[in-house]
Amino acid sequence: MSITREEIAAFADGQLPPEREAEVAAAVASDPTLAEEVAKHRALKAMLQGHFAPIAEEPVPENLAALLRPEPQSEVVDFAAAREKREQKRKLPSWGWVAGPALAASLAIAIFLPRGNETTDSYADAQLASVLEQTLVAEQLASADTRILLSFQNDDAEFCRAFSAADGGGIACRDDNGWKFEALGEGSETAGTEYRMAGAGDADILAIAQELAEGPALDAEAERAAREAGWR
Amino acid sequence: MKAETLGTSFETDLLALMPRLRRFAVGLAGNPADGDDLCQMTIERALTNRSKWTEGTRLDSWTYRIMRNIWIDEGRKATRSRETFVAEEAGAGVGGDGAQESAVELSNVDRAMQKLPEDQREAVLLVMVEGYAYKEAAEIVGCPVGTLNSRLVRGRDALMGMLGEAQ
Repeated sequence: MSITREEIAAFADGQLPPEREAEVAAAVASDPTLAEEVAKHRALKAMLQGHFAPIAEEPVPENLAALLRPEPQSEVVDFAAAREKREQKRKLPSWGWVAGPALAASLAIAIFLPRGNETTDSYADAQLASVLEQTLVAEQLASADTRILLSFQNDDAEFCRAFSAADGGGIACRDDNGWKFEALGEGSETAGTEYRMAGAGDADILAIAQELAEGPALDAEAERAAREAGWR
Repeated sequence: MKAETLGTSFETDLLALMPRLRRFAVGLAGNPADGDDLCQMTIERALTNRSKWTEGTRLDSWTYRIMRNIWIDEGRKATRSRETFVAEEAGAGVGGDGAQESAVELSNVDRAMQKLPEDQREAVLLVMVEGYAYKEAAEIVGCPVGTLNSRLVRGRDALMGMLGEAQ
């Protein structure tokens, strides 16, 4: 009886039709060379399974799992999930085209955000606060020392403004005490060093704004209305 | 209401398949980073095409087929360019021995897998790692069972040749 290499492999895998399997089994039982072939096939299979098994035992990376989770439990704190949720919906806020390329870079930066740590809050000084209070995106001069990039509301419904300045930019949100920094770029003199973002450019700041924002950026009309209301 | 329930279970079922899908993806792509990119593309395409999945049929085969097709369509070029790079690195590393032997042995499996032609690699992974029957693997790949069988045997022979006597 002639047995092909394909049949030996299929026998080792338990994939032969029952009638043929019995014939091959009999041949393997009486032929040490065939038996060795079968053993090699099985050993190779065990080796490959052992090699790849650890991958299936790892937890699924969060960015992949988030694509399949209909409702991420937290809205903003889990930046990766929030980002994936947005990408999945294909509804990036209107400044997504600016922030998109910087999203990946921003994730490493985002952990330095001084959120939820009351003892280290810092606020904009009078000069910056004045700019934050008064300047509208639509009206500012391109040559201004401090430019407002955009305005938005965070998940506490506070108005926040992302700004760019020669010595670094950042994001500040208006609370009861003033304009509280949510993020600050490198070069800013006004904050504790632990929240500096190394080399953060406007794109990084916008990327963080995108994570902090609850909804799209304010348009010119909404921004004007917010200023009229004192950003509260 | 019914559609909504189905929709949720589609995503939940897909999530449950993810560990296996990642294993297949990393095996095809040759490294975890490219494997996870492949996973992401697969999930996105599966979600986009969910209406094409027939309820009651196997979601795993359907998703494996998507992943395999994306890999064939898009992953190949990236894999090729990386192979060139890896080959140079491997050449530079020749001469290491002794204590590194077991680590080298592990990466030898990856290297051997990456040297297999695509059709043999996917056949080997589907049957020997993912545990599909020949018929199921042939359906995922979209070829006759006999073709799959012969690709599998060629892939196995090549691996045994590269890895020596399988231990």
